[in-house]
Formats: sequence, structure tokens, C-alpha cells
Amino acid sequence: MKRILAAVVASFLAVAPALADPVAGGRANVVIQPEPPSLMLGLVQNAPAQQVAGNIYEGLLRYDTKLNPMPSLAKSWEVSDDGLTYTFHLQHGVKWHDGQPFSADDVVFSADVFLRKTHPRFRAVLDHVESITAPDADTVVFRLKSPFGPFLNSFEVGSMPIVPKHIYEGTDFATNPANNTPIGTGPFKFAEWVKGSYIKLVKNPDYWDQGKPYLDEVYWHVIPDAASRAVAYETGQVDILPAGSIENFDIDRVKELPDTCITQSGWEFFGPQSWVWLNNRQGPTASKEFRQAIMYALDREFIRDSLFNGLGQIPNGPFAGSTRYNDTDLKPWPYDPKKAKELVKASGYKGEVLKLVPMPYGETWMRLAEVIKQNLADVGIKVEIVSTDVAGWNQHLSDWDFDLSTTYLYQYGDPALGVSRSYVSGNIKKGSPWNNVEGYSNPKVDALFDKGAGTVDPAERKAAYDEVQKILVDDVPNAWLLDMGMPTISRCSVKDLVTTGIGLNDGFKNAWIQK
Amino acid sequence: MRGTTFMKIATRIAARLAKAAVVLLAILVLNFLLIHAAPGDPAVVMAGEAGATDDVFLAQLREKFGLDQPLYMQLGKYVWDVLHLDLGFSYRQQMPVFDLLMDRLPATLLLTGSAFAVSLILGVAAGVLAASRVGKWSDTLISTVALLFYATPLFWAALMGVLLFSVVLGWLPPFGYETVGSGFTGMRRALDIAQHLALPALSLGLFFMAVYSRMTRASMLEVAQLDFVKTARAKGLSRGVIERRHILRNALLPIVTLAGLQAGQLVGGAVLTETVFAWPGIGRLMFEALTQRDYNVLLGVFFVSAAMVIVFNLITDLIYGIVDPRIRAQ
Amino acid sequence: MKDFWHRFRANKGGIVGLVLLAAIVAVALLAPMLFPGNPWKMVARPFVPPFEGMKFPLGTDTVGRNVAAGLAYGGRVSLLVGLVSTLAALLIGIPVGALAGYFGGRIDDLLMRVTEFFQTVPSFALAIVIVAIFQPSVVSITLAIGIVSWPPVARLVRGEVMSLRQREYIEAAILQGLSTPAIILRQILPNAVSPIIVMASLMVASAILLESSLSFLGLGDPNLMSWGYMIGAARTVIRQAWWLSLFPGVAIVLTVLALNLIGESLNDALNPRLSRRRS
Repeated sequence: MKRILAAVVASFLAVAPALADPVAGGRANVVIQPEPPSLMLGLVQNAPAQQVAGNIYEGLLRYDTKLNPMPSLAKSWEVSDDGLTYTFHLQHGVKWHDGQPFSADDVVFSADVFLRKTHPRFRAVLDHVESITAPDADTVVFRLKSPFGPFLNSFEVGSMPIVPKHIYEGTDFATNPANNTPIGTGPFKFAEWVKGSYIKLVKNPDYWDQGKPYLDEVYWHVIPDAASRAVAYETGQVDILPAGSIENFDIDRVKELPDTCITQSGWEFFGPQSWVWLNNRQGPTASKEFRQAIMYALDREFIRDSLFNGLGQIPNGPFAGSTRYNDTDLKPWPYDPKKAKELVKASGYKGEVLKLVPMPYGETWMRLAEVIKQNLADVGIKVEIVSTDVAGWNQHLSDWDFDLSTTYLYQYGDPALGVSRSYVSGNIKKGSPWNNVEGYSNPKVDALFDKGAGTVDPAERKAAYDEVQKILVDDVPNAWLLDMGMPTISRCSVKDLVTTGIGLNDGFKNAWIQK
Repeated sequence: MRGTTFMKIATRIAARLAKAAVVLLAILVLNFLLIHAAPGDPAVVMAGEAGATDDVFLAQLREKFGLDQPLYMQLGKYVWDVLHLDLGFSYRQQMPVFDLLMDRLPATLLLTGSAFAVSLILGVAAGVLAASRVGKWSDTLISTVALLFYATPLFWAALMGVLLFSVVLGWLPPFGYETVGSGFTGMRRALDIAQHLALPALSLGLFFMAVYSRMTRASMLEVAQLDFVKTARAKGLSRGVIERRHILRNALLPIVTLAGLQAGQLVGGAVLTETVFAWPGIGRLMFEALTQRDYNVLLGVFFVSAAMVIVFNLITDLIYGIVDPRIRAQ
Repeated sequence: MKDFWHRFRANKGGIVGLVLLAAIVAVALLAPMLFPGNPWKMVARPFVPPFEGMKFPLGTDTVGRNVAAGLAYGGRVSLLVGLVSTLAALLIGIPVGALAGYFGGRIDDLLMRVTEFFQTVPSFALAIVIVAIFQPSVVSITLAIGIVSWPPVARLVRGEVMSLRQREYIEAAILQGLSTPAIILRQILPNAVSPIIVMASLMVASAILLESSLSFLGLGDPNLMSWGYMIGAARTVIRQAWWLSLFPGVAIVLTVLALNLIGESLNDALNPRLSRRRS
């Protein structure tokens, strides 16, 4: 017997109950930062590309703010009891923006051919997949090699965007000229991109979800300077500031402006956590006492309150608060310089100067590096900041050329998707700033993460992840700083902007402007 | 007579252009080596931004960008392409570098051109005024203000300008090239762009305004001491005539030189202004290309700005010939 | 010397500049005594406004560091970068100019082509690229400023040397069999020193401006407090904490102003022929 998980039509579930009825029309002006390299979401998945193109393309599923799957291009789905077969039933009457009909073939092509070639994160998911087939035009079946706990979390638009087979089949995906005029199935169509200025999307009148979207057009404004972005909001040139588009120092002031609403929702799917990479291979940071000393030395409350504007939660371990199986009973790490000093002494530290390579993503992160340096100096640890740009920072991390470095990573709501990659020894590979860069290696941890991922039974998963958290918290492979708060700021007249766990990335489907 | 003069000028220009081409090529080669010495490459940047990556992904990107080739091969190919007037492709922006530059160049030229005109006109006017009132309070005022502008960091002036005129007074838009999505056309659009242009052009022009006024004043005073001016005075010509015909014309020479230098540097020198004002020009493009390791774009910007310097040096030379009859005679 | 001082004093601006600069240098030198410890230390709550008590007369910054201490220590870095990068520019520019001017011909041609090369590359852009590539540090910044600012020195020295080369006493020295380096170093350069000094004083000023511009773009040395850094860091909070960008901005303006005033007076005092014509 098959377990029916959901079989509800999209229009019924998708909208959070609104107080007033949506009205059609109007334009949204949004900040986009930085300018995305391309809007072809199958090729480029950086954050700004997802924010814009998530409204052009669609995935099979969406996720609410509790990360429960919701219909998107798939109107319903079933999972077999052995956790090996996933069957998706597609929406009827869906058309690509160029008028061609959408079918199950597009899904198979996207997953099996296109994204297999271009999408590193989806490629990792495909490792668990044995076959992808389309028994008929409205049905797609994924068969797995072995059970994979978070599989149903892999179908959001950024993780698995569905691209048009009729445009890409048999072409060189990277150089296809169609990449400049992306064709999706989503609520908005690509209209115009003036490089360095703005991207314009217009309403898709033939959208399958009848009546949506409400807005006529969405303008994404490219404004390279953070202070100018804040001014743009104040002077009314833009109405929506996605998280990260203005400096944290500006948030307090901007959110007090008239007719301004702020929400921290819409990032649950990503659950970004920030930490300090500690090079576990060499130098003082190879010692566990020394790493624990760093945890006690960092004044994380000060960091959150003065640098991150009081937004976010201070984590006790490697699982962000919004990530499944996060253990809320872990012992907290208080700010305790005295204890840190003792541990530094016990570790046999001889005054070596540590190299701190800060993440070069704006002023907040530079201030963070300065505070870390000063916190550590207060307990007798010498630190030198190595300043570099994005390329240099990526290179330092990819080559393991650092003692300390700041970062933040998305956890995608599930430890098997977003946490294990930073701690399992199989992921100690040069060439990427996103894998096990710190070089922590523990067979027991590897086994537990494998166990947690290889089953769909929540109780089994929880047991494995509880244990792994206890081990990691004691070993301190990295110094966890903050489960980041990601505030989206907008005019209060913009309604239903954030209704899902990926917020703005697919938010304009439901958004409307109160007259 | 006219024909031979023309021929002479043409030969001189041709010789200058030939030398300039060599300099230009040397600049490209040097910058090519410089930028490739920077840590990281475009593949690393794009992989980093994607938030996930693996070896396959990096290898694909490097192959696509031609970064899997040895460096001398890449350099050779680049130089070869440039010699064929092909500036390469920006994989970051997904378009040919030439098109990208042409997209961005008008904005930069508009900005720097206006800043140039404003600083030249106001600067020279202030300098002439100061020189003719030397020692009086108006001279002291102009000289002091010029000195202050001269000592003020450009970005600081820009920020203060935004604070005052956009945020506090609300007179001018704080940034951007035009009101996006306004649908303005014709005169309405020109006016809109002019409003956006005011602050960046002024703050970019301040420094050079100071330079020109200081220079004009000094140059005028210097020329006023020369013998031919004394002769003119002895002949009893009026003060105004002497100032205009004799002094100013000769005092202009160093200003022409400086203006030529400034005009050349304007294209490359607008990085700060374009960043503060979100002006979609090539100065900003250059800074972005640098951090994204978009090699071809960065080199393309250097190519264009160096070419501008060369062109303006040439124009300066020609103007010099008109202003100073001695050079024409040579 | 007495004559020089007399002429220097004649220009009031020069005296004002000298006093200003002396005060700035004094504060910078005495920083460790005025503000013991280190300017990065977080000493109070963030954003304490200025003039609210004697403890932090100029307020505190985004993370609660003493702005006054930052200014004092920052002065050391700004002045040092200005001075050292000017020295670097002189070290490149003087030999290039002297050789080109002395030997003329092919050597002149070659060296001037190199100079032209550096004048054709947009200089600020080149400085940015150099700093970004070698990663921002006080060394790379100083080097970059030196590299982009030497060509005018070379041109100036070349001109001076060319005209001095024609003088009779140089011909005499050559006939006496003095070695070329000796002639350049002992006979020619000492006579070209005045315009070089004037130019150098102005170059220090522009180097300080250049350093602050680089820092503003985030290309400053992250381990050293400098005025440019302070403005760059204050830019994002300019609306809620005006004093953070105002004070270092004023410090830069005053320093650059002082150096320019001194430079002008030096010019008057060292090149009396020119200056008498002026007023």
C-alpha cells in the first residue's frame, strides 16, 4: 500500500490566510545584490540568481516555513513504504513561457541530463538515485538505490529547477544563446536586463495557477553600494530589501521608517549558520583544548548584538535552530575569558601568530574579524588578519591556507543536506570552500552521519544525530558563531511576500500590493 | 602651403599612433600577467558563489574559460585576438567584452565629460577672477576654497553631497543613471538623467575645479610679468584687452596640458564616484571584474581607458598647435 | 639658510601649515602615551556620541572603540604611508629622470617610453589592481602608491638634469675626468633638489588621499588603524554616527592642507625667481 503524503491542489494550500483579498496590478521594486551572473537557474545557483530566477523557473515542490512540502509543478506525490520509490503527479495545462507545453519529459531531462551536468549540489543528490522515468506525460518516478532521509527536501526551485527540454536538448548548455532570455514555467516571465542597472520581469498571463500572479511587473534594481541601497529604500525608489541587501548597522534605522515591515521568516529552508573555520590539521588549532578555548573566548552575544543587530540565535553546536534534529538540550558555551586562558595554557600554545582570513562579504564581516581578533587577543592568542577579496578568500579556503576564517553556510533544513558536508571525512577535498575545509576527521562521526541519512525513519535519524551532536560539540571542529537572522524589509503595503521557507526566492507568486 | 601643413600633421599623428599601439599592447600584456598573478580565478569565484561545488564543476568552468591551458598559451591567444580587434568574451556577464564596454561607456563618458566641462569652465573662471583681483578678499576666498577642495577626499565629498542634497533636502536623486521604469522619453528623459548626473558630476569635478583655478591663477600671474605684456601695457591697451588677448591666451597652455591629462584619466578615475552613486559605467565594471576575476573584462577596461589617454594626448597636441602658434611653425 | 627661512616666513600660509603639521605629527608620535594600549580595543558601548564626557571626547565607533585613539594611531599610518610611498616614488623617479636627462638619445627614448607607459595606464585603477593582487597590507599599499606616482618625478628631474647638463661647470667636470655617477650625484642632482623637494611635499599629500581612497574601497591594511580605514568603516553608519566619518575626514583634510601650504611656501622660498614674478 502506498502512503499518500499530500494530494491537495495548489491554490488551496499555497497562500497563508490573508486578512484582505488580494488585488491584481502594480509593480514591485526590489533590490538585488550582487548582480547575478546569469538568470539561467540550471547553470547558476548563487543567491541573487535564485532570488530573481526562482520566480521564472519552478521546482516540483515548494516548502512552507516548517519545511513541509507543498505542491508546485507536482500537484501530488507518493513515497513507497520501503522509501525507495518517489512518484510525482504533475499539474495539468502548464506551458513554458514560449508557449510550448510542459510535460514529464522536461522533468526527466532536467534531472537526469541537464542538472546532472551542471548542478553540483543536485549531483550529490543524484548519487542516491538509480533511475528517473516518465511512465506517462503527467507522471515522474524517481527510484533510489537505498533509502535517503532528506530526499523529499531536494525539489525546491533552487535545488532542482525544471528547464525546458525543447530548448536545451542536444545543445551545449553553457553557451546556448537562450540562456540570456530564460524560459521557465513560473509566474513571471523574463522581460529585460540592463546590465548594471536593473532586471525586469513581467506577469505570465498564461500561468497555470489561475489568477496568479497578482503583480504586473517586478523590477530588480542593481545598486552596488550598501549605503545607497538603504537610501534607495528611504527615498521610495525600491520597496523591498531582501536580507543582506543593506548593512546590519542600517537595519535598526530603516525598520523604524514609516510603513515599513520586517520579517525574519522565509529563510527556514536555508537556515544559514555562521562559524569560524579552525584548521584542525596544523598549528595551535590542531589541539582540542585550544579550539575549546576559542569557543569560550568569543563574546558571541556582543557579536550578535552589536554586529548583527541583535538578530539571530547563538548556537550550541553544529545544527542551526531551523535544521531538523537540532538538539536543544546541548550545553551552552558561555563567554568565559578566564576559562579560555586556562585552556590556552593547557594546550601548550607558544605565542604563534594565527592567520585569520575573513569572509569579504561587506563591512559587518570585516568588523566581525576585528572583534574576533580582539577577543582572542584578550586571552593571549595572537591573530593577524589577512585581507582579501572573494576570489582570494575562496582560494585560501580551497587550499586550506588559513588558521582561522569566517564563513556561513546554508543547511537546507536537513543535516544530511547541509551539515554533514562540513564534518565528514569523505568530504576533505581541496578545491572548494564549502566542504570539510577544517579537516576534521572522525570515523565515528562519519558512521553516524551515514546512519542518519540512510533511513526515512525519524526516530532512527534522531538517535544518530543526537549522538553526533554530542561528539562534535565536545571536539569543536569549528567555532559556531550564530544562526543568522535574515531580515526581509518591505513596505507594509506589500502583502503575502514571504509565504514559504525560501521566502523571496519564490515569493512573487503570491505577493500583491494593497492599494 | 595648407596641404603641406596638413601632411605634416598627418605624419605626426601616424607616428604617434604607431608608438601608442606598442604602449597599448605592453599595457595589456602587463595587466594580463598581473591579474593572472592574483589568487583565485573566475571558476573559483563562481563555484564559491554557487554555494556548492565539486571537481567536475570546477573542471567544466576552467575548460569553458580556457583556463586549463598553460598561461603563455592563454596570453598568446589573447594578444592574437586583440590584434584582430576581438576583446574576448565575459563568461561572467555572458556577453562579448566589446559589447559590454559599449554598453557601459556612454554612462562613463557622460559623467566624466560633464565633470570635465564643469571643472574646466568654473575652475578657469575662478582662476581668472582670482588673478585679476590678486591680493584682494575675493582672491583670498577663491584661493582658500580651492585649497580646501583640493585637500578633500573625493568620496567624502560625494557622501556629504548625498547626505545634504538627497537625504536632508531631497532635491536630487541619490544614485543611479535614470529613474528606472519611468518610461520617460525625449526631453523628459534627458532632464531625468541630468538630475541624476548633477551630484556625481559635481563631486567628481570638485577636485579638478580646484586644480584648474589654482593653476590658472598662477599661470596668469606668471604671464603677466612677461615682457610682451609689459610692452602691451606701455602701448596703453586697456586692462581687459590685455587680460583676454595677451595673458589668458598664453596662460592657457599649461591648462591645456593638464586638461588633456585629466580627460585621459577620467575614464579610469571614476571608480570611486561610480561606486558611491551606483553609476553604471566602466569604472565600476572594472572594480567588479577585478573581484570576480573576470579577466577579459578587466583587460578590456584597461584597454579602453588607455586608448582614451592616448587619444586625448593626441587631441591635446593638436589643440596646443592651435593655441600656441610657435608649435605650428616648427 | 637664513635667507630661505626669511622667504619661507614671508608666506603666512606656510607658517600655518607648519604649525598644523607639527601638531598632527606630535599627536601621532605621542599616541602610545596619550592612549596606552591599542586602538582596536573595545572600551565602551558602541556609538557613544562625541563631546559627552572627557573619557571619550570624540565618541566611540561601531564596536565601541575610542575614536580619539583611532585618530592618533591612524595619523601614524597615514603619515607613514604618505612619506614612505613618496620616498619609493622618488627612488624610482629620480634615477629614471636623471639617467634619461643626462644621457639623452636612445636611453632617454627608452626610459621615457616606460614613463609614458605608466602615465597611460589609469593610475588609480592600476593601484587598485596591485593592492588587490598582493592582498591589502601596508607594504602593498605603499608599493602601489609609489609605483603609480613616480612618472611626474621622472619628468621633472629629466627636465632639470637636461638643462643643468648644458652648464659650463658640468662640461668642466667631464673634462676633469670625473666619473659619470659622480657627476650626476654630486654635481647635478644637488642643484635640482629644490623643485624635487617642493614636488615631494605635495606628493605626500596626494599619497595620503590615495591611501584613504583605497581604504574606502576596502583595500586598506586590516591590521593597522588608519584614517582611510576609519572613513571606509564609518561609511555604512554615516547616517546614525556622523562623527565616525567626520573626524577622520577632517584629519585628512587638515593634513593634506598643511602639506600643500608648506609645499607652496617651499616653492616660494626655494624658487625665488619664480615666486617673485607671482605676487
